[in-house]
Amino acid sequence: MKHPFQIVLSDQDGHVFTSVKNEILVFNTDGQRIGHWIDPLDKSVTLKKQQEEKIKQLSEKKLKTNDETPIKIPKIPVPGLGAPPLYNYIRSLSVRNDILVGTTDSDKAVVIFRIDFSNNIGNCLCLIKRQVLPKRPCAVSQNDKVVVVADKFGDVYTVSIDLNEPVEDKALAPILGHVSMLSDVLITTRDDGKSFILTADRDEHIRVTNYPKSYVIKSWLFGHREFILSLVIPEFNRDLLISGGGDNYVLLWNWYDNKLLDQVDIRTLIEPFLNDSHLPPERFLTEDSVKEVTVSNIISYAEYFYVVCENTKCINGFKIDAGDGFKVNHIQTLTTQHSIVDITLDKLKNQLIACFDTEDEHKLLAGFAIADDGLLQQQEQSKALTNISDANECLVESRDDFYPLYYTSTLRKRSDH
Amino acid sequence: MSEVRKHNELGSRRKAYREIQQETRKKAKSTRFQDDSSISKSGSEEPISASELNKNQIELPRKRFYRQRAHSNPFSDHCLDYPTSPDSMEWKNMYPGFYDKERDEMTSQVEIADIGCGYGGLMIKLAPEFPQQLILGMEIRVQVTQYVEDRIIALREQNQHTNGYQNISVLRGNAMKFIPNFFHKGQLQKMFFCFPDPHFKQRKHKARIITNTLLSEYAYVLREGGIVYTITDVEDLHLWMVKHLEAHPMFERLSKEWEQQDKCVEIMYNATEEGQKVTRNKGSKFVACFKRLPTPEDTE
Ligand SMILES: C[S@@+](CC[C@H](N)C(=O)[O-])C[C@H]1O[C@@H](n2cnc3c(N)ncnc32)[C@H](O)[C@@H]1O
Repeated sequence: MKHPFQIVLSDQDGHVFTSVKNEILVFNTDGQRIGHWIDPLDKSVTLKKQQEEKIKQLSEKKLKTNDETPIKIPKIPVPGLGAPPLYNYIRSLSVRNDILVGTTDSDKAVVIFRIDFSNNIGNCLCLIKRQVLPKRPCAVSQNDKVVVVADKFGDVYTVSIDLNEPVEDKALAPILGHVSMLSDVLITTRDDGKSFILTADRDEHIRVTNYPKSYVIKSWLFGHREFILSLVIPEFNRDLLISGGGDNYVLLWNWYDNKLLDQVDIRTLIEPFLNDSHLPPERFLTEDSVKEVTVSNIISYAEYFYVVCENTKCINGFKIDAGDGFKVNHIQTLTTQHSIVDITLDKLKNQLIACFDTEDEHKLLAGFAIADDGLLQQQEQSKALTNISDANECLVESRDDFYPLYYTSTLRKRSDH
Repeated sequence: MSEVRKHNELGSRRKAYREIQQETRKKAKSTRFQDDSSISKSGSEEPISASELNKNQIELPRKRFYRQRAHSNPFSDHCLDYPTSPDSMEWKNMYPGFYDKERDEMTSQVEIADIGCGYGGLMIKLAPEFPQQLILGMEIRVQVTQYVEDRIIALREQNQHTNGYQNISVLRGNAMKFIPNFFHKGQLQKMFFCFPDPHFKQRKHKARIITNTLLSEYAYVLREGGIVYTITDVEDLHLWMVKHLEAHPMFERLSKEWEQQDKCVEIMYNATEEGQKVTRNKGSKFVACFKRLPTPEDTE
């Protein structure tokens, strides 16, 4: 069985980027693999290597001493009992023109690649910088010059996109910070040339900060009650913002004017798709616990946007009605075969590509065509997507070996009473 | 053994005391701080004063019954109450003397904040100096906050004839996380940071209440020309605060001469409980004040 893809991402020209565990794969529009990268620093890999190394040594020793007893296979060194399991994976990916940016857990770094799409025989990915950060990076965004990276401790740093040596991580100074884990970050430039950074955190705060003068805060957008996971600026009007996370709703803002334009109920739409996995963790479970809704992905396409909730088998489509003071209308609830782990817009083919939480190793991805009226339609699996599925080489014994695909329940604030 | 018993007894006495105080607080709040419905039920236009309810005059609370751990973790945030936005903040319950019932609006807004106000000594000294401005203390420890609340209830009660202490109030909250939930952009004129927790260890420096990144939030809630006051007995922390404030483009240090002519500096030097402790122990006190500079023109 294969481990599902954890990230799927597409660029302007229909290239597809995927990630599973510590590996990044790049595909052309036919689904042929044109690039790949494995994080050489993944600790879980080194632990396995250590074990293999030891076994080799032991067997050599045994050969020399003619010992008949079977060799004891040393265990993979693991952190002490009670320590949370270590999962090192690529936590986020972002692409813009020919620059791909990822974050690694292994050494808490931002990895910046130049993509050479003309290189169609070898590997199109060329690592140009690996900048280690003081704390684990959670989200990235980029413009032409810098990568903006937000971390688990609430700080945001910029890393310049160039060939210069990375900076000593202790010498990095945050350009802005929240006192809360950050969940998403966006850097955006308005038509008048002014740039801003939008950040979202675990304490329901969305903040708008000037850039590069990031010590000047423009505003906070108040409206969420729970953690935020996703910030999206639609291309058709870059003053708008769609945000969602642990709340039962998604919000549409004019972030520039600090105006909440509309609130869209998600809970009612998603209710039939919730199951017991959406109940709070056992420790917090009470008789009147309700199932929890988490918006994990928002994809914007023209005046439409699509919402995916964690561990649910559906996509909800919406239309932003610009003529009506920017009101949002629900247009579709599309049932999917499996829960969606991640989803992206493939502009070239006007489709959404989703990666599924599935044990069917040939159907790790699915495409959904977007019609002119914004409605989605599931397509027969294309050759390209089949190729991409087949290129995933991450084998596991069973579902139990999957890395956590849904981990937001730890973000929800709970109290014991 | 007997030490433990003594400790437990003291603990239960503290608890009993606090329960009585809580009752008083509730009554005072429900009569003075609440909406019209509860008042009209009592058949009178004027809220009943706490002393009518409580034949005995309310006494100033005793601090030793409100003891709590010296430090709290500013990163944990469970069960903290805070408004979803500054607009949803109900100031009228906290400053009933500055609430215009007819117009249903506050006649004044909070312009002075004491961050980590502890037992409230600073606000009590500032209150008569700024009778028309609202002063708010923010404190993260529950029992310390309750002590300050009880103290203000008693002071208002004892000073009814002059309407004293109507302009101070306290909120339990984590100032490091939720300042923007309480105040609008440019709302504050003064922010006090008196004897903040030092968090000595390098690893804990992010827990300090003055950091580069938090200063941008303070600059946001302060208006141009607003002032950040700092005082501490820990020289290291003083140097740290000065370094960060000086490095921040939105703040400029004020001179010693300025400090000498400012009445708040003098009050801050002597009024806070922590400051008094330092005086008793003959410790040093380090002061630094900073002005909030104009917002750069090319930003918004
Ligand atoms: C050493 S005491 C000083 C109290 C008072 N300012 C004085 O001078 O007497 C520091 C106070 O700050 C409070 N505090 C620490 N972190 C805080 C935070 N993030 N928000 C609000 N209060 C905080 C502590 O609970 C403590 O009461």
